[in-house]
Amino acid sequence: MNHSHPSESQIQEYALDKSNCTTEDIVHIESCAECSAGVKTYLLLFTKIVEQPTPVFEFDLSTLVVSQLEHANSRLSADHFVAGFLVIFSSCSIGIPLFIFRNNILYMFNDVPPFFIYSILGSTSVIVIAKILLMFKKYQNQIRLLNFK
Amino acid sequence: MHHNTEYHLTDKVLIDRVLRGDTRAFGAIIKNTENLVAQIVFKLIPVSEDRKDIAQDVYLKAFHGLSGFKFQSKLSTWIAQIAYNACLSWIEKKKPFLYGATSDDEIYFEPTNTTRHGASNDNESEKRVFEKELTGILRREIDLLPPVYQTLIILYHHDSLSYEVLSQITGLPTGTVKSYLFRARKMLKEKLLSKYKKEAL
Repeated sequence: MNHSHPSESQIQEYALDKSNCTTEDIVHIESCAECSAGVKTYLLLFTKIVEQPTPVFEFDLSTLVVSQLEHANSRLSADHFVAGFLVIFSSCSIGIPLFIFRNNILYMFNDVPPFFIYSILGSTSVIVIAKILLMFKKYQNQIRLLNFK
Repeated sequence: MHHNTEYHLTDKVLIDRVLRGDTRAFGAIIKNTENLVAQIVFKLIPVSEDRKDIAQDVYLKAFHGLSGFKFQSKLSTWIAQIAYNACLSWIEKKKPFLYGATSDDEIYFEPTNTTRHGASNDNESEKRVFEKELTGILRREIDLLPPVYQTLIILYHHDSLSYEVLSQITGLPTGTVKSYLFRARKMLKEKLLSKYKKEAL
């Protein structure tokens, strides 16, 4: 028998599915009272987790949501009309001047100094990078919050 | 029964029907997935009034995003992912309240807090009382784990979700899910052992 005990993760693995354990670990665990006790505790733990009551919402979620959707559906056509109008209006406001002045658009930038263009591109890049970093920090905060109460 | 058969239609059929304007089919999707959503919401949100808002919000988001669902996972996994993210946003917004809040789960769960008071003296009854007591103790110990551990341990052991599905729901790498589950089990084992002597277990 191997005298060094398998690690806690190997004992857990044995309790979960011993086919994932090495023969050496299986032999040790089955012949060692301490490790067998650890396995027994885990098995009891798993059984008791399965026996935990399933939480149930104290309201009829399906009826609640479906009634909201039906109510929203009746408003949808009006909302669609407004949204469609705004999309067409915005597209026309941008598209028509672009079409009319299409031959002159490139000349607009002729007199703009390159430094000015580079500074716009540079500042945009800085803002985008800063936003990405903020998002990443927010994500890390959320994970930290969940890991430690 | 028409409704019962509706709950057993495949994700694809139900989604097609919802996209064609059949809101009742969406009701079937809710019925099929609300237990999973409840597990997540109850584990992450301790305030019962907020659970109602979040649960509704989850399904409204799912309804509006349904046309973009690409069948890269099961529909239930996708909805569980929305639920998990909605809970994360809630935690982010209500951080200060979370720490002071106490869970009011007692109202909605079957009572598990049995004492030895009413038990008869024979061994069988005592054993049953002990088993019930242990289930209650474990529930309280699970509630004391960090929220993400609670969610993972319940979804893995109670709802039999795989590491891969848990990884999809939480957005955590599979290795991290495994490591969190290992730590959660170890913490629970140690807490149980500290409550009861090894021999009693």
